[in-house]
Amino acid sequence: METQSNKKIFVVIPAFNEGSVIQSVIQEIQHSGYKNIIVIDDGSSDNTQIKAAEIIGKFSLRHKINRGKGGATKTGIEAAKLFEADIIVTVDGDGQHDPKDIQKIITPILENKCDVVLGTRLIDPRGMPWYKILANHFGNFVTWFLFGLWVTDSQSGFRAYSRHAAEVINTKADRYEYDSEVIREIYIYKLKFKEVPIAVRYTEYSMGKIHKQGLVNGIRTVYKMIWNLIS
Amino acid sequence: MIYQGVSRYIKGKSSQTLLKVLVRIVVWGGMAFISLFPSFTTVLARIIGIEGNINAAILTGFLLIFLMLFKLLSLIEKLEQDISQVTRKESLQELTNSIKKTN
Repeated sequence: METQSNKKIFVVIPAFNEGSVIQSVIQEIQHSGYKNIIVIDDGSSDNTQIKAAEIIGKFSLRHKINRGKGGATKTGIEAAKLFEADIIVTVDGDGQHDPKDIQKIITPILENKCDVVLGTRLIDPRGMPWYKILANHFGNFVTWFLFGLWVTDSQSGFRAYSRHAAEVINTKADRYEYDSEVIREIYIYKLKFKEVPIAVRYTEYSMGKIHKQGLVNGIRTVYKMIWNLIS
Repeated sequence: MIYQGVSRYIKGKSSQTLLKVLVRIVVWGGMAFISLFPSFTTVLARIIGIEGNINAAILTGFLLIFLMLFKLLSLIEKLEQDISQVTRKESLQELTNSIKKTN
């Protein structure tokens, strides 16, 4: 297992119908120096798992039924814990995140400065469409209002967790509200966290995906966040 | 409906709790009582503070429907979480099995 200063680092990639790009995503991460990669095919109708397995073998997992990004991420984190990961990095499966930023994301945890590092697109939102910036600000406001913690990018999937954080964070959300629920867990368990600016790569491919966090999904996410609070 | 709930509870069926029996008695018993004594709705309206017994019945009906919807949505949410847990367990089991085969 590859380690940095004796720490086992795992990269978890939840993926849904990313068969056309998943191999390049995995290879890019490997070229950045990270070999422990777990892909969770979240009930894709294409060959995402098979494509991933061609490179990472048994570390390509599959959900038989689609459970959502949150559900897939949680499965990946549980799998990484099985391998005694010290640091778990979550990355989107559509190539939106630059693997060169992984080092920035994990450094504060390697230096024992915090338990969770949140990659944020909004400190330097170059390349981000204006409506996504607006939607993110709204998401940040709702997250702060419901969960009591202000972060600059509550919806970013590019994050790193220490082993301790991975053990205590216990989310129930399966879909896009997962990202906000993690913020709540950070607040409840008083985990030390840090925000690190990350690059964002909006390609025609990633922008064209219908199941991404659009307006309808955004409204659904807010509804689920409120529902989980009152039920 | 009341008889069904009470007999299931007496037989000790795990799905039938005391709370569920009481809810059945209140809901169905209430409906039966109002059918037999419709003038009671006037008393109910006075207690709640609503003008007109029909309004009281309608409002109470809405409240009950809202509670039932809330319960249904909670159940659906619980089912979704259970499905996720089972799906996760299955995929992690496949992983541990493939690790054992390799070793």
